[in-house]
Amino acid sequence: MKTYPVEINVNGEWQKADVTARDTLLDLLRDRFGAFEVKNGCAQGDCGACTVILDHKAVNACLTLALQANGKNVTTLKGVGTPDQPHPLQQSFVEHGAIQCGFCTPGMVVSAKALLDNNPAPTRNEIREGISGNLCRCTGYNKIVEAIEDASLKREE
Amino acid sequence: MSTTEYIKPGDLSDLHHIMKEYKGRTTVIAGGTNLIPEMRNGEKAPELLIDISDMAELSFIRENNGSIAIGAATTIAEMAASSVLLDNSPILASAAKQLGNPLTRNRATLGGNLANASPCADTAPPLLALDASVEILSPGGKTRQVPLSKFFHGYKFTDLVKGEILTGVTFPKPNDSTKGSHTKIGLRNAASICVASIAVALDMDGKRCRKARVAAGSVAPIPMRAYRVEKLLEGKEIDAALLEECMAVVKEEISPISDIRGSLEYRSYVTAMILKRNIKHALQQEI
Amino acid sequence: MLDKLKEKPTTRPDYRIIGKPVARHDAWGKVFADTKYANDYTLPGMLYAKVLRSQYAAAKVLSVDTAEAVKLAGVEAVMTAKDVPHNETVTRFGQTHKVGGFEGLYRVLAEKKIRFRGEAIALVAAKSLAIAEKALGLIKVEYEPLAGVFDPVEAMKPGAYRVGEDESNVICSYKVRKGDIAEGFDLAEVIVENTYRVPMVDHAYLEPESGVAWLDDDGVITIRAATQVIEHFRGIADVLGLPHNKVRVIAPMVGGGFGGKEDITVETYLALLAWKTGKPVSLTYTREESIIAHSKRHPYVMKYKTGATKDGKLVAMEAELISDAGGYVFLSPWVLLYSTVKATGPYDITHVKVDSHAVLTNNTFSSANRGFGAPQPCFAYESQLDEIAKQLNLSPLEIRKKNYLHTGDSLATGRVLEHAVETEQTAEKAMEALGPPSQARSPSEKIGRGMASSMMSYGRMTFLHDTSRSYVSLDLDGSVTVKCGVQDIGGGQASSLAQIAAEVLGVPLEDITVYIGDSALTPLAGTTTATRQLYMSGNATYKAAMAVRDNLLSKAADILDTAPENLDIKDRKIFIKPIIKSDADRVLALDDVVRACAADGVQLYNVAQFNAPARELIDFQTGQGQVFADFTFGTHAMEVAVDVDTGKVNVLKIIACFDVGQAINPLSAEGQIEGGALYGLGYGMTEEVILDKGNTLTPSLAEYLIPTSVDAPDVKTIMVESGGGVGPFGAKGLGEPACVSVAAAFANAVADAIGARIYDLPVTAEKIIRALGKI
Repeated sequence: MKTYPVEINVNGEWQKADVTARDTLLDLLRDRFGAFEVKNGCAQGDCGACTVILDHKAVNACLTLALQANGKNVTTLKGVGTPDQPHPLQQSFVEHGAIQCGFCTPGMVVSAKALLDNNPAPTRNEIREGISGNLCRCTGYNKIVEAIEDASLKREE
Repeated sequence: MSTTEYIKPGDLSDLHHIMKEYKGRTTVIAGGTNLIPEMRNGEKAPELLIDISDMAELSFIRENNGSIAIGAATTIAEMAASSVLLDNSPILASAAKQLGNPLTRNRATLGGNLANASPCADTAPPLLALDASVEILSPGGKTRQVPLSKFFHGYKFTDLVKGEILTGVTFPKPNDSTKGSHTKIGLRNAASICVASIAVALDMDGKRCRKARVAAGSVAPIPMRAYRVEKLLEGKEIDAALLEECMAVVKEEISPISDIRGSLEYRSYVTAMILKRNIKHALQQEI
Repeated sequence: MLDKLKEKPTTRPDYRIIGKPVARHDAWGKVFADTKYANDYTLPGMLYAKVLRSQYAAAKVLSVDTAEAVKLAGVEAVMTAKDVPHNETVTRFGQTHKVGGFEGLYRVLAEKKIRFRGEAIALVAAKSLAIAEKALGLIKVEYEPLAGVFDPVEAMKPGAYRVGEDESNVICSYKVRKGDIAEGFDLAEVIVENTYRVPMVDHAYLEPESGVAWLDDDGVITIRAATQVIEHFRGIADVLGLPHNKVRVIAPMVGGGFGGKEDITVETYLALLAWKTGKPVSLTYTREESIIAHSKRHPYVMKYKTGATKDGKLVAMEAELISDAGGYVFLSPWVLLYSTVKATGPYDITHVKVDSHAVLTNNTFSSANRGFGAPQPCFAYESQLDEIAKQLNLSPLEIRKKNYLHTGDSLATGRVLEHAVETEQTAEKAMEALGPPSQARSPSEKIGRGMASSMMSYGRMTFLHDTSRSYVSLDLDGSVTVKCGVQDIGGGQASSLAQIAAEVLGVPLEDITVYIGDSALTPLAGTTTATRQLYMSGNATYKAAMAVRDNLLSKAADILDTAPENLDIKDRKIFIKPIIKSDADRVLALDDVVRACAADGVQLYNVAQFNAPARELIDFQTGQGQVFADFTFGTHAMEVAVDVDTGKVNVLKIIACFDVGQAINPLSAEGQIEGGALYGLGYGMTEEVILDKGNTLTPSLAEYLIPTSVDAPDVKTIMVESGGGVGPFGAKGLGEPACVSVAAAFANAVADAIGARIYDLPVTAEKIIRALGKI
């Protein structure tokens, strides 16, 4: 298979790889860039576990070719916040009990960050709409919605 | 496994030159939300991908000279949030908002939705009701316009010939007397493949309908206009009896199938129900 | 006795950490992307595995030609049934106690007859996933398609297509007999008889089945897999013909289980390939593979005939349950037993006759799924109750209140409910919380309300002689380590142990480190199934921590010249009660006492074993006897708005009320209840694995629809804390009980809205339109 060079900024760091035209951003992030936090739940855009922010927009990494991310900025859960500098979303997800098995969490937090970046004071309905591409089987979404709402209030402070 | 190559044209001129040079071997990719799963499951094995996802010239929503134009690489999310569409063609904004989920809407494009030509294509029924035309770029630079009502020939089969690319959609800006409504029936409230949908646009002169456009999705091999319903409505005062007639006629015009999402009986029934509901709703508001 | 059992504690003990909504210790790793799941793991030289699966639901395998696949560059192993040392063993259910009979055939790779579409035929391990996939395409299988049977009722008939090698497709049958059913129906003044059907559904955990296996330095096959049962190491060893201590299973944090990772999934395949190649091997199912080829919730056909007096007292219930086990037995006999014991629900019924059968078909095999056979009959018995209520002009709550079992009453199996039974309280609270009815927003919208109550066991069946072990230790610096074989599938199984140890030892939660899920290195704690971990491992951890605490307090008592009973530990201080901070003679630092113990060789670690009450197998002809240690009782109440023109349902309110005994962590308890509500709502509203002659028509999450965040409202949770559970601190288990009665409440709410009932799940818009007679 023919390969092409790409350079992608992942969480603030430029990384290079040679990819085929079929490699998805998900493949590249997990298999080559060691971004295990980007999960593969279905590989075809039905579950949201692979959500990343691509140049300000939340997208499914499995539905983006690696080549389509060339030259762009990708943010994964690791780029949202760290133990030293947690994002209010990360703090509130933990405090509200919004994490059970945790597999949907990376995609969910990234989606929530994109939501709050575009809409800093969403209503609960807007929150539910905003994360409707991220499936969760454990929590019933309640505490996730509460956590996002709480984080949006804290960001304003 | 066959190899796939990739080219990302810089602008439209680049694009049609490439389409000409590699004529017959090209597959256009924008959002890839249909194409990438098809490549994954082996349904498609493109020789050469032409990536137009970042082409600024194809990404726009514009109002000029009484018509509205949308570039093929415009994302569904952009359409759902567009004030131009919300003000002028809410039935289109409504369909865009209900396509997929927020993540897929950030990548899926209008061009992809139409060129993929699924009978369930969410943007097609409102665009049909808006008398939209598609603009097609041929290899070498020639362009042509095709009314959307003549664009779908059969199940996932359009007027595009090999090497051609859909570059945009235009429709006349609806006048102040045109009222519309759109309903999509799905099995859940997000990321739901359409079971049946109806879009109507009615140019009203008081209670009398001057011009009617009625389109249906997921109830035929193609997104379709319900011409007989339109003829029933045009020139008439819309009352309850006429609505009942429309319901009976639309059931004759559509040809739904039974599948995992619903039986043909249900699709037929619910299409008629939402037709009635949409017409009633449209009459209460501006388009 | 009844009076004593109804005594409730009037004051709640003052716990420091138990009952507090603390952050789970594993949540930080998950939110900062540190936690690694089963396939977030690579090893040098790792190979990638793929499984070749049957293209037919019923067929003879005439030949499997792997020659081309073996030759493909990069392929390191291709295995079929003949390469497996013991390709046929049995599905083990008891971890420590062998239970006679009903241990179904566990066949690793297909041979002779294919029994379901997606059955594994061959394994490939290659240097890359792409090569492994290509190799699959090169394996040539010759099939002779067979007729197959796809309906359990058909499969029970004499002369039906034989799914397996046995004479009958009927795996097992059970009976419950109480009183005289004919007499019961004679007494009845109203009788309702219906057939209910529930579909096959999928666990749909976000993490597909996955794992990595390698040989360690001593040649031990080590498997790190998303599993609920690390003790499958025994079954895997048996397949390979190895001693049990040559196979080790590690469970990392699991991305959802719900019973779907209770049976062996990838582990045996990984073990075989690692053993064959000597190299690390990784295997992850695609989502399609997970939906098509791995276990499901049993579809049931349930015939219910219920009789009541005109006052609403239930006097007769006759039920026949037929479960579709699919191609292999797995846990079908046990799921059926649960259904049978719970077929009457949490109600007192004078005369009962239950007959149940589990039947093989060529559909995808079914096994454990959250609720383990309880949700299916719940849909039936709760629908029956509402129909009887309607005929008698009683409200759903009224009729249930006339029949609820209470503490000290007996089930139809003769078993006395000696622990807290608060169903009635949960029902009253749930219905009250619904508040005033919502207003319909248009003439075509009908508002409806429904309720359903359930009883669901926690803890395994008592004839399995279940045990759990946990290790707790205090190190020289006073930090605490808990080691327990528990598998954490997201329900806080690990962090609740930390809370318990922290409470008992008087240290902050941050001072605890927990190691879990390693069959070689952590004391075995049994399965994470049957809502048993808090009960069993919680109790074991409590016991171990108490033993350490006793030694600490003994030493401290010596130092302070007092008796151990006078001492308590809080915030790393041991003191004579009550604490007087100024009095140095009464307080010791924990660290000082730890050092004193170490100096004198006083043991500050303990491995404790907790044994569940042990019984023998009940008599399957009468169904009489005790099967479970205890039950959790609860009620769901729902309000829906139905668009009677389109059939679309909008869920307006979901109330869930449970007696949780004692919530160890209220956030976790609520989380289980809220998650269980959506899990059950999907069962009632949108989910169905649709098969056509054994072929799955809904193989992806685009066709198999689970609720999204916009498909349900906030769930309102009400927790009753009776303190009457058999878990630590009086806790009851919640994981499965949380989902059992939701679908039934949903169906009842829709029936209330439209004035017609749907007898099969899911309750879809189309079924509503049909029930209304519109098509």
